[in-house]
Amino acid sequence: MKAVARLVWAYFTGTPVLRACTIVGLALIAIDLYVVATQPGSGQKLWLAVLGLIFFFVGSSLMPVTFGRLARSHSVGVLPGGRVKLLLSAFITILLVALPVGILSPASFISANSSLPELMKDPRVRDFVLEVTALMFSSAVLFAGWMYLALWFLTSQRDMAGLFKGLIVIMLVIFSPAREIHDFNVSLTWNLQQIAILWFVFGAGFLLWPRFKAVRARRNREWFAGLTRVFTGRTVGREFDVLLGTANPWLLVAVLALPLLLMVRLMGQVPSAWLFFLTIFSGLTGAYSGQAAERSRALWLRGHWSRVELFVAVERSIWRHNAHVLGALVLVIVGMGLYAGFPPVLVAAGFSLVLLGTVLSTYLGLMITRGLRWVEIVAGVVVMLSLMALAMLVGFEDVDLTTVFALEVCMIALAIAFRSVARRRWTRIDWMECRPDRALTARGA
Amino acid sequence: MTSNAVEASNLKKAFGEKQVLQDMSFGVSPGDVIGVLGKNGAGKTTLLELMLGFTAPTAGAVRIFGHESYSLPGDIKARVGFVPQQDELLDQLTVADQLRVIASFYPRWDSELIDRLCSEWGVNVNARIKSMSVGERQKLSILLAFGHKPELLILDEPVASLDPIARRQFLEQLLTLSTDEKRAIVFSSHIVSDIERLANRIWILKEGRLDWQGDLDSLKESIVRLHIRGAGPELPAFKIPGVLNVRRDGAFATAVVRDWTPEAQEALEKSASVQIEVETLGLEEIFVELHR
Repeated sequence: MKAVARLVWAYFTGTPVLRACTIVGLALIAIDLYVVATQPGSGQKLWLAVLGLIFFFVGSSLMPVTFGRLARSHSVGVLPGGRVKLLLSAFITILLVALPVGILSPASFISANSSLPELMKDPRVRDFVLEVTALMFSSAVLFAGWMYLALWFLTSQRDMAGLFKGLIVIMLVIFSPAREIHDFNVSLTWNLQQIAILWFVFGAGFLLWPRFKAVRARRNREWFAGLTRVFTGRTVGREFDVLLGTANPWLLVAVLALPLLLMVRLMGQVPSAWLFFLTIFSGLTGAYSGQAAERSRALWLRGHWSRVELFVAVERSIWRHNAHVLGALVLVIVGMGLYAGFPPVLVAAGFSLVLLGTVLSTYLGLMITRGLRWVEIVAGVVVMLSLMALAMLVGFEDVDLTTVFALEVCMIALAIAFRSVARRRWTRIDWMECRPDRALTARGA
Repeated sequence: MTSNAVEASNLKKAFGEKQVLQDMSFGVSPGDVIGVLGKNGAGKTTLLELMLGFTAPTAGAVRIFGHESYSLPGDIKARVGFVPQQDELLDQLTVADQLRVIASFYPRWDSELIDRLCSEWGVNVNARIKSMSVGERQKLSILLAFGHKPELLILDEPVASLDPIARRQFLEQLLTLSTDEKRAIVFSSHIVSDIERLANRIWILKEGRLDWQGDLDSLKESIVRLHIRGAGPELPAFKIPGVLNVRRDGAFATAVVRDWTPEAQEALEKSASVQIEVETLGLEEIFVELHR
């Protein structure tokens, strides 16, 4: 248990920034809970606790990264009970992150109803509040579990398989609450069942992974090699793209296909929902350009390019790649428009959104020449939130097109600024600051 | 136009407040095989990557075949080969595909040499890189650096992941390459015996400085162990010039000294009335004594 506790402690306090986030988050939650509990009717002050919750969640963000690194390392195999303890530490972290949501639920009742303390004397009211608390807590556990799983796939497995798994999980994360809101059938039993299934499947897969790998290694995998050759085999004439990882855009299109089909099936009739998802998908192209700097290190000694010329060549290669993905997304928009009978204005807005998402994320990715730092993270979050907000806005029936247009112009200006920063950074790119992280890809687990 | 493959003057590199390399000046001539030695964190990788233009110096300059390394033109890059400490292979490709991809960047690529080496080193060209061991990947990285027959070959701890047989094969190949007088090789390694066997010049890095640079024989003549014997029961007090480490025991003393010359020996024997016997040290002992 000591090792589990040590791991959990490390997740929340591993770096000075995360430690500060955790402390600030807990302090805000505690202060707000005290205020709300002692001053009935102070509901407007709950925003402080929500802010604290966000800080607390950010404070724990070392968990998926550390978990991923340890899970893929050799050392976890020789540590006594290594995988079990690691799994347990992740579960406890999720419980801790979800706990404030559970505690805030009764607080929100108290803050909204000044006579609640009186009402709580009634066993039926008390049971109801407790039931809602348990429900909120279990929903938060479930949601946090999915979120961390998506984060883990996207950050630890930086390839198509990781991207694919991450997208599917994100779809489930968004679909699950949306369906519950739509059908209004959420229940504690159903939440607990989902938590049990999720953790049973993930836990079993995680714990049995070394055995599965051993069995898989013994089997003839020629058929699989043949399959991957379909995607990776043609390299002649595209060597630059191969080294940069942009040689085969169809791979990304193929990876996007299933989540896109799921999206059409689940939320096709709601304009803002499909615009929202298409925006997320268009942003994925940034994942490629984000790796361009470290991958270009292998190109530096093998071509005639200066640093500026290399940026131009990289930019061209990435756009060759992205054009295919963009084309596929535009086809989806047209198909969706025809299928659901959306007005042409909405379809046109969809085009511009997807294009903006691709351009912004591409240049944001190209800005990453010294590893992922706070500036790029904040810029990424701001861009994605802005795009999503714009997608929701466009989906409204009485949308003001002037506002949409003005926002889009702002985003074009932002894209130009991103490109300018990226180009300037590439003129003095230092490959000692962005070398490929082999530690992540070393085949340990 | 300079005839040196590499020239550096007053080279400095700092990461923030931390000075990694300080005031380095050196030259690498065609025919040189330079072994770079240094403790972990001494700045070996930084030095090699500065030479290749991966990073800019904080002060000073490195020139490769007369060109600033930070902005190397394509024809100069085609004359340089590099084996990184951590491979930069593409996991999803096969060995043959990876070789084809890299070969396409060079106007001169010796496919025959690479085919022969693949066969001799037991590299399966049909294997997918993802499924290869660390040692096999390292062999492939080395092959990728040999294929275009570079005039300047820079290797950053190339043998760290190789088994003894693969290491021997690699060293033999490097020896073959080094017989070409037009080629210069710079390689870092912690395996001192490999450097001793292969290098004709040694660079020893200590705390970000080039503590020693010169040919191996000069180094061995310069840093030696002295066995000193006095005439009486106790050695008289005397000062040994360039002493690194000394141990006294009655009428005897042993000392490791640097910059030792026959003239210094003669002078000390006369002034202190002692007899001195000089013992030549191996490279590993020299390295240890310099870092004591």
